Formats: sequence, C-alpha cells, structure tokens
Amino acid sequence: MTCDGVLNAIELIAAGELKADDQMTVHLTTCASCRSALEAARRLDTLLRQRPVATPPAQFTSRTMARIRRARWRNEQMIDWSFNAALTLVAMAVAAGIWIVIRRSGLTFTAANDAQQLLGAELRAFFQRASASLPVYALATALLVTALGIWWWAERDATV
Amino acid sequence: MEPDHERELVERCRRGEVGAFEELVDRYKNLVFAMITRTFPDRSQAEDLAQDVFLRIHRGLPYFRGEARLSTWIYRIVVNLCTQDRGRGMSSVSLDDANARVSTPAAADRHADDLELRDRLEKAIAQLPAQYRLLIAAHYLRGVQYEELAEAMNMPLGTVKTQLHRAKRQLRMLLETDLK
Repeated sequence: MTCDGVLNAIELIAAGELKADDQMTVHLTTCASCRSALEAARRLDTLLRQRPVATPPAQFTSRTMARIRRARWRNEQMIDWSFNAALTLVAMAVAAGIWIVIRRSGLTFTAANDAQQLLGAELRAFFQRASASLPVYALATALLVTALGIWWWAERDATV
Repeated sequence: MEPDHERELVERCRRGEVGAFEELVDRYKNLVFAMITRTFPDRSQAEDLAQDVFLRIHRGLPYFRGEARLSTWIYRIVVNLCTQDRGRGMSSVSLDDANARVSTPAAADRHADDLELRDRLEKAIAQLPAQYRLLIAAHYLRGVQYEELAEAMNMPLGTVKTQLHRAKRQLRMLLETDLK
C-alpha cells in the first residue's frame, strides 16, 4: 500500500464512510505522514460537524410574505399597464383608421373646417367660463398632484 | 417532513389557501437560511437571498410537477441561487488575514484557539469554489442526504461524493498547519 492509495481514501476513513482494510491499517501504523493526515482529516470532519447553524431572524416569515405580496402586486400592476397600453394602441389605430377613411372619401377639408370652427368656438366659451374659477382648479390640481406624489413615495418606500 | 404531507402542502399552496405558503416558509426557513449562511457569511445578504429562494418557490409552485420531493426542489433552487450569486461577499476573505494572530499560552487560551481555528475554517471554506462550499454546507446539515443532494445538484451520486471528498481535501490542505 502506497501513501497515495491511503491519502486518496483519507477523507472517507475520517468521516467513517470507509473502514480501513488491513493493508491501510498497517500503512497507517508505520507512516507518520499518512497518520498525521488522517488525524487532520478527522479533526476537520469534527469541526465541520460542529459548525454553528444560523437561524433566521424572528420576523423572517412575515418579511418574506410581505415581499411576496409586493412582488405579486407589482406583477398585477404590470399586467394592468400592459392592458391599458394595448387599449390605447387599439384606440389610436381605430382613430387612425377613421381618419384615413374620411380622408379617402374626400370629406377631409370640409370636415376639418367645420371641426375647427366648432372647436374654436367651444374652447373660447369654455375658457371664458373657467377663468373665474381658475384658482380653485389650480388648487385642486395641486392637491391631486401632491396626493399622487405621496402615494408614489409610499409605494416606492414599501418596495425597498 | 413526510412526502404525503409535502404533497398536501403543495396542493394547498397551489389552491391559494390562506396561510399555506406561510406554513411552507415556516417549515423550510431554517434549512434554507442555514444553507445560505454557510455559503454566504454576510447575514444581511443571507436574509435577502433566503427571501429570494422563497420568492422563486412561490413563482415556481404552479409548475412544480412533484416528480422530486419538495425539499429536493428547494435545495435545487438554493443551489442555483447560490451559484449565480457566487460573487457576493466572497472577494475579501483571505487566510492570510489571520497571520496577525497573537500566540498565546496553550493552556490559558484553548478557547481562543478554538475560536480562531473556527474563524480560519470559515475563511478557508470561503476560498473554495461555490459548488464545493454548497456541498460542504449541505452535507454537514442534519437531514441532507447524498441522494437528495445529487438530485438537487443534478449530478450523479458518485460525482457528489467525489466532489465532497475533493472539497474536504482542499480544506485540509488550506488548514494544514492549523489542524496539526
């Protein structure tokens, strides 16, 4: 039995997974180097068995569940956004289709003039009516923007 | 955990039963956390990674066919995650850091020597390739069998044993002077 032969099996012998045969036993009694390697392997095996086992923090389960809920919420939000984007694209495609049909039918010019006149008159009337209440609208808009900002900030903070 | 109980828990999770997934997290968190902390010593990263494991389990449960045991599948997820994240927190570890150790009288400082040896062991483990670290971590955790490990790592049983054997030999070489 050579040193190489014994050293190849030293970890298995140390872990008790292999029983040294007679030849190995004889070699181990006569070879100080292999005996020392076996002792080192045994010590290492003991140390590895005694390695401390860390336990998760007390709130691990609740924190994990919260993270899963957030991930699920984000997925749902992504689906919502995709659906809205698809809907917008469809609406734009329909509008473009109508525009192309009107254009090809020769109604474009008259329809555009009528629409411009109608829209212009309506817009002027609207701004005249709304100008008196402009500060109220501005305040409401500011409040809405602030609320949206707070909501965005809270959601962003919750996902960190 | 009994295989029947495992299957039942998986089914309850799939049905979206309230509290079922929480039960799964509770059952496996110790094992997952222990394996990860033994592979990644940084505790803050370990918690994050352990949560990632459960997120992947949650996403993957609808596709889990039950061909392997749930625990094996969970090991596989841990293995994949740990090997993907092998760069995390491992670069600054060196056995030479301990060269500055103070030599103390053996009788008085036996405990300190033990602690130091454990510290050097952790540093030596950190120098091993991720695959070896995982094998050492899982093999020395109670309840993780060779067969389960082989299935989780998608390796033949013989390869797992050989790699573990090599990992231990590499460790022994790294700690040669300390173990004598």
